[in-house]
Amino acid sequence: MSASLALSLWLQSARLQQQTGAALGSTTAPDSNWTLDLLEWVRTSWLSTKLAGLAGMDQAPALPTWAAAAIGAGIAVGIVIGFVSVVAMFSIWLERRVAGRIQSRIGPNRVGPFGLLQSLADGVKLLLKEDIIPSGADRKLFVLAPALVMASALAMFAAVPMADGAGFTDINLGVLFIVGISALATIGVIMAGWSSNNKWALYGAMREAAQVVSYEVPLGISLLVPVIVGGTLELGAASRLQSGWGGSCWFLFQNPFVLPAFVLYFIAALAENKRAPFDLPESESELVAGFHTEYSGIRFSFFFLEEYAAMFLMSAVGTALFLGGWNFPGIDLLKGGWLIAAQLAVFVVKSMFLVLLMIWIRWTLPRMRVDQVMVMGYKYLTPLSLICVVGASVWEVWAAVPFHERPIWMQLFTPVLVFGVCAVLGAMLRKQAIESAAQPTTRSRIAPRAHAAAH
Amino acid sequence: MVNFADNTAPDSQAKAGGWWSDVWLGLWTTLVGMRITLKYFFKKPVTVQYPEERMPIPDRYRGIHYLEQEKCIYCFQCARACPVDCITMEAVRHGKELEWISFSVDYNRCMFCELCTYPCPKDCIHEGKEFALVTYDRKELIHDLLTYRGLSDEAKVRLAEAEKEKAAKEAAKAAKAAAAAKPAAAAKPASAPGAGDAAAPPAS
Amino acid sequence: MASSHPQTTSHSGGTAHSGSAAALPFRPAGSGEYDEDGNLKPKFGRPLAEGEREIVMDVRTQDMEMNMGPQHPSTHGVLRVLLRVDGEVVTQAVPYIGYIHRCAEKIGESVEWIQYLPYTDRYDYLAAMNNNLGYSMAVEKLLGVEIPQRAMYIRTICAELNRIGSHLIAFGTYGLDLGAFTPFFYSFREREWILSIFEKICGARLTYSFIRIGGVFNDAPPGWLEEVEAFCDDFEEKWKEYNDLLSDNLIFVRRTADIGVISKEDALAYGLTGPCLRGSGVKYDLRKDQPYELYSKLEFNVPVGEGKKGQLGDCWDRYDVRMQEMRESVRIIRQCLAGIQEGPVLAKLAAALKVPAGHAYVGIENPRGELGHFVISGGDKKAIRLRVRGPSFCNLSILPKMLPGTMLADSVALIGSIDIVLGEVDR
Repeated sequence: MSASLALSLWLQSARLQQQTGAALGSTTAPDSNWTLDLLEWVRTSWLSTKLAGLAGMDQAPALPTWAAAAIGAGIAVGIVIGFVSVVAMFSIWLERRVAGRIQSRIGPNRVGPFGLLQSLADGVKLLLKEDIIPSGADRKLFVLAPALVMASALAMFAAVPMADGAGFTDINLGVLFIVGISALATIGVIMAGWSSNNKWALYGAMREAAQVVSYEVPLGISLLVPVIVGGTLELGAASRLQSGWGGSCWFLFQNPFVLPAFVLYFIAALAENKRAPFDLPESESELVAGFHTEYSGIRFSFFFLEEYAAMFLMSAVGTALFLGGWNFPGIDLLKGGWLIAAQLAVFVVKSMFLVLLMIWIRWTLPRMRVDQVMVMGYKYLTPLSLICVVGASVWEVWAAVPFHERPIWMQLFTPVLVFGVCAVLGAMLRKQAIESAAQPTTRSRIAPRAHAAAH
Repeated sequence: MVNFADNTAPDSQAKAGGWWSDVWLGLWTTLVGMRITLKYFFKKPVTVQYPEERMPIPDRYRGIHYLEQEKCIYCFQCARACPVDCITMEAVRHGKELEWISFSVDYNRCMFCELCTYPCPKDCIHEGKEFALVTYDRKELIHDLLTYRGLSDEAKVRLAEAEKEKAAKEAAKAAKAAAAAKPAAAAKPASAPGAGDAAAPPAS
Repeated sequence: MASSHPQTTSHSGGTAHSGSAAALPFRPAGSGEYDEDGNLKPKFGRPLAEGEREIVMDVRTQDMEMNMGPQHPSTHGVLRVLLRVDGEVVTQAVPYIGYIHRCAEKIGESVEWIQYLPYTDRYDYLAAMNNNLGYSMAVEKLLGVEIPQRAMYIRTICAELNRIGSHLIAFGTYGLDLGAFTPFFYSFREREWILSIFEKICGARLTYSFIRIGGVFNDAPPGWLEEVEAFCDDFEEKWKEYNDLLSDNLIFVRRTADIGVISKEDALAYGLTGPCLRGSGVKYDLRKDQPYELYSKLEFNVPVGEGKKGQLGDCWDRYDVRMQEMRESVRIIRQCLAGIQEGPVLAKLAAALKVPAGHAYVGIENPRGELGHFVISGGDKKAIRLRVRGPSFCNLSILPKMLPGTMLADSVALIGSIDIVLGEVDR
């Protein structure tokens, strides 16, 4: 357990050292270790030299490599935690505001502009709350569970490339890494449910286990489709492959089977993240609060943050593999630091759009039943994703050449198909809206009021 | 042993078209639902920001009582009508004038049914538009509806006048009685002080 | 109780699994003989052949007891259901009630006739107008007073508006039970308008005490009838959206269709009334079958379950009956608005009401079913006996029959579809 935690932290430190170094616009190569540079700078700084002089040394001694790396990792982890927290808090705010507007309410609007600081205020409140561990709970597991859940969210960040050249740890098995690490949270959830000594929590945990095991299958298979199209498991490389057509040649437009695969991935990601309509592990109308029934205060906030961080990460993976990653028409015109900033912005905006979609769906749909979730995973999503994999493979084999060398009709086929499907669905929805509004009311059948003159 | 098929119907797909129809219907009904939620996303919220904005309170609202003290005749009709006996009142009658000591409503009990207002012959007890009843102590929930205690200045003047008149009348009566009793007193002197005592307290 | 544990192969009737030990989750240690490898020795008396091994599939599980309620988000109040669950499947369910028993009937014997009115608000607090109406009608039957026409119209409008309000809650909370949050807010948005309409006519938003013995307390204020009509217009448009959003949603249909099927016979045998009975296909509505007030003059349909999405009498049918009834209520209100005339709203009655000796039972169609009031008067200011037949209480009685065999999530759907108000169950 701790090994995996350490692994994730190290991975992040490595990634962030590179990412931040590049994002700051430094001229150093992406693989230079900026945290070590920083430490070196501190070592040779005026104050350090003075202090060393006091100790009778010429210069402050260099830290051993392991210590420097550990400190660097600490800094990097701090940055990651900060970023994840900010993203998660923003997502929470977004969720609450969007839910409010969808439900004809306003939503939180008191703390900060548009209520943006509401999540922060809630976080502070949760921090200050009494830390309660139920008397019958398994204390060790109870305490460890939220940490593990949070660690999985943080670790997943290690393989998400948000901008080109910003020096991410482009793990060459990035997709596998993400699918693997995302399942780690499940262990935390099961631990939480088991250790709480609460039957409802236990139910939540068991449901989560069953659900994640089932949905890993369609999730993984549908992720295979862009992998087949791109020919790589590396998220950064996949994003780079989608930069054609001035940044709009996304995998979504490269192969007709990517669109259904994307829909399947999205549904499976909803289930992975325990989002409605798959929020069975915490279904509040059935299981009170599911696996986190007994959690309160800061430990609860970890579960809460993890949910939104995982939402963002799943969306980020979807963005990188289906929606072109950081590519966007016109982004190539920018240079240097601006380009990286724009790419980061595009990536985050795309991911947040998917998060928004998840939120939108949550406030629309009822919850499924546990057996229906299984049926949907095994009987619907898995075969459909297999069809997509087969179809995508056949299409790629048939085309036989890289995308840009294919005949023009083959290149244009998929974008036309995607937009055609969207247009047809839009037209059908419009027709449905008109037909629904045109249903007769009882007004026409009853004579107007006779008493109108009386008033 | 539970027969699973009893209540959870085994053919839950009975009315469904089939596999592809399920896929399509699932997608389509979700989209239709999302259309509606999107529609309201762009509409103005119906809620208001409570402490700053408030919903209009209609005239007939049943809130905290108010009493038109001048009109009240201390008839106990409201207290009698109350199903929970939350109205208590206390006053001293000075002829037609009332010296109020208390008129309280116990909001621990009151259920705002407005049954107290209908029997009032003078239409003097009403339920107002105030509804906030939050206190830190239950004792504070016993509201006194009196706007002033005792007698108003006007009433005091009126009462003083009335008493003066009454005293004058009594004096006149006493004088008359005395005049009439004089012959009798001579005959029965022992009974006169007793009769005088009985007449004295109202006059004093 | 365990339903589906695999049978032990190759040895049946072992002592460990029989008798009182059957309830234990695992084979008790030391109950059988073990060989040197730790395997249980066969109980047959037949020596195992070479290579043959007895497999004891000891995955026998123990049923878990769950207290669903009295503090649970979807028991609609303080209902407590003691569930025995085998995994996700409910094997036994016992509802426990009485957490908000307030002696309403006994209070009815100790307060004056008119003073009992506010207490009627409080048993089915979502349909207080209907409760007022039921009680008032029972007392009026003994009094034999004639109710002014205008009062009858206002009563009918209020009762039907309240029916819509109550069904809106049923619709919204049913969505909530099944995990759809937004319909709940939409239904409350519309209900809010109904409440403000009531607030305008009687000053209260929930416990109205408005329909009284002999008529109604207040006449409609100016513009009130117009607002009711505006509400009807708006509501019918919104009603279509509810169907698009929830009723036809595939997840919703799958969560409710074929779940909790109540057969016609069961529905009648358990004394269900209201949408629960009509959902099972029995066309029984007191407004049609024993018309009271104005209902004999009004045109409306009685929607019954048809098994549109699944079997007849499933949760979806009960839900749909409520949805259809809302429209019928709008239709009734429109007819009342068309027919209402000026006039007095309260019959002339003595201030201190004395009701002639006798007894009367009046049942009316509450949103949840037949709400009956049985009153016995000794000719005095107070009732000798007052008895209430609450629809929720009777509808709840079918729960122990319906729940076993459903899944935990279905039990929530089932309780929601019966649409109980615990205030009225416990009274």
